[in-house]
Amino acid sequence: MSFTRFVRRVILLAALPLVLLGIPATVSAATVSAATTGAATGTSATDTGWLRLAHLSPNTPEVDVYLYSFGDSSAQVVLHHVGYGEESPYEQVPAGDYSVAMRAAGAAATSAPVLSASVNVAAGHAYTVAGLGPESGLRLQVLDDRLSTPAGHALVRIIQASLKQHVVSVSWNGHVLDSSLKFASVSPYQSVSPATATLTVSGGGESAHISVPLAAGTVHTLVVLDGAKGLVVSDLLDAAGSSKTPVGAAKTGFGGMAPRAPSSPLPWLAVIGAGLLLAMVGGRRLRGLTAARSQGC
Amino acid sequence: MLGGRLTAALVLAVGVAAASAGAAGLMLTRHPQVVQVSALRVLPAPTGPIVAVPQHGTAQVAKPVSLVIPAIGVSTSLIHLGLTSSGALQVPSSTSVAGWYTGSPRPGATGSSVIAGHIDSYRGPGVFFRLSDLRIGDRVYVKRADGTLAVFKVTAVKMYPKDKFPTAAVYGPAPDPELRLITCGGVFDHSLKSYLSNTVVYTTEVG
Repeated sequence: MSFTRFVRRVILLAALPLVLLGIPATVSAATVSAATTGAATGTSATDTGWLRLAHLSPNTPEVDVYLYSFGDSSAQVVLHHVGYGEESPYEQVPAGDYSVAMRAAGAAATSAPVLSASVNVAAGHAYTVAGLGPESGLRLQVLDDRLSTPAGHALVRIIQASLKQHVVSVSWNGHVLDSSLKFASVSPYQSVSPATATLTVSGGGESAHISVPLAAGTVHTLVVLDGAKGLVVSDLLDAAGSSKTPVGAAKTGFGGMAPRAPSSPLPWLAVIGAGLLLAMVGGRRLRGLTAARSQGC
Repeated sequence: MLGGRLTAALVLAVGVAAASAGAAGLMLTRHPQVVQVSALRVLPAPTGPIVAVPQHGTAQVAKPVSLVIPAIGVSTSLIHLGLTSSGALQVPSSTSVAGWYTGSPRPGATGSSVIAGHIDSYRGPGVFFRLSDLRIGDRVYVKRADGTLAVFKVTAVKMYPKDKFPTAAVYGPAPDPELRLITCGGVFDHSLKSYLSNTVVYTTEVG
């Protein structure tokens, strides 16, 4: 092997690690940037909504309430012996179509339901399926329950489920929420300033007073019911959030464990460039001298 | 003549050596520095009377006093957090404890309760260093002042850029007892001395 060929081989061998080292360097830089952008998306989305069931028909006896996922004949939830004025807690369910069926308490699950209704549950939304009206005209109504409040306020709506007093007026904290709410109707949500104050329901010379706390960031449904004697009001907390929404994001880190971004590659690239240039100059000169000598001989 | 060849060979050798050294230097500094962390200590689930408020949430539950997340080795007492003068969420002054935001519902009551903790300090890991490692279904335990336990399961793990933090989704009303755990995440901006994202873990009480 001639000296020239030996030199060439040395250059090749020296260049090899350059190539090999260069690849992982670029790859690792690429992975770092991919990881940071990919992190913006979450691990999973919550594609669920909420449903609750209520019996608000005064002269209808106890019922069994069934919840079916659409197209599935086995019930997802069964509530037994639900009486007037009772409601279930919210059930978290995957978004989709459902049907709710009411049967007389104790009736076979296979028997024809007295009433049924279909509900489309959208992700992130909550619904109340309420049996409303007198027994002779019982219906299942799907109510959209709100899950947000205006900043610093509470939301309240009223369900009038008193058969004894067909029309009632409702006021809270001196503010008239509804002056003539008819039996089996539902008022829209109203925004009120937070306070713990007296709610007054009156109709036909009867009235009921209860103290209701309406905190900022909470959503309430007040149900007017026939009591054993006179009117009764039940306060359902539909949803609750922070009384004051913090501004912006949370500053929960100081960076001690953060990966440091790689430093600039430029100085190293300059060293490599200079080295290669030097090697090339040396190699050329060497080849020239070798060629001159072999000619000279 | 021989002197010329020697010089040329020397130049060649120096060049090759410099190029190799440059390549080695490039490779050694191209990857981010990974900070060494002690191994994960998986904790046993705490024991105590598990009390889920069954109905209507208007019933009061006791204040939270401690938090245990066995899957990521978290066991911490809970301090109380309010808001800063600018209205932002106050964060614990210590990086080794988490805090409950007192403006949010108590853990286990109806609504979206909020607990925040640091991912790290200037030197090492904070109480919520591994929060983003939580997976759907992992359990979160909150012990309350009356000794009862509220148990939550993870339903989602999300990361949001801080300038697009969804305050309504995180702090807004929820119809069932939920708990949200907040810490920092993503890229740390050394010039701003701040992480650019927040990790939020959504959990729902196990009925």
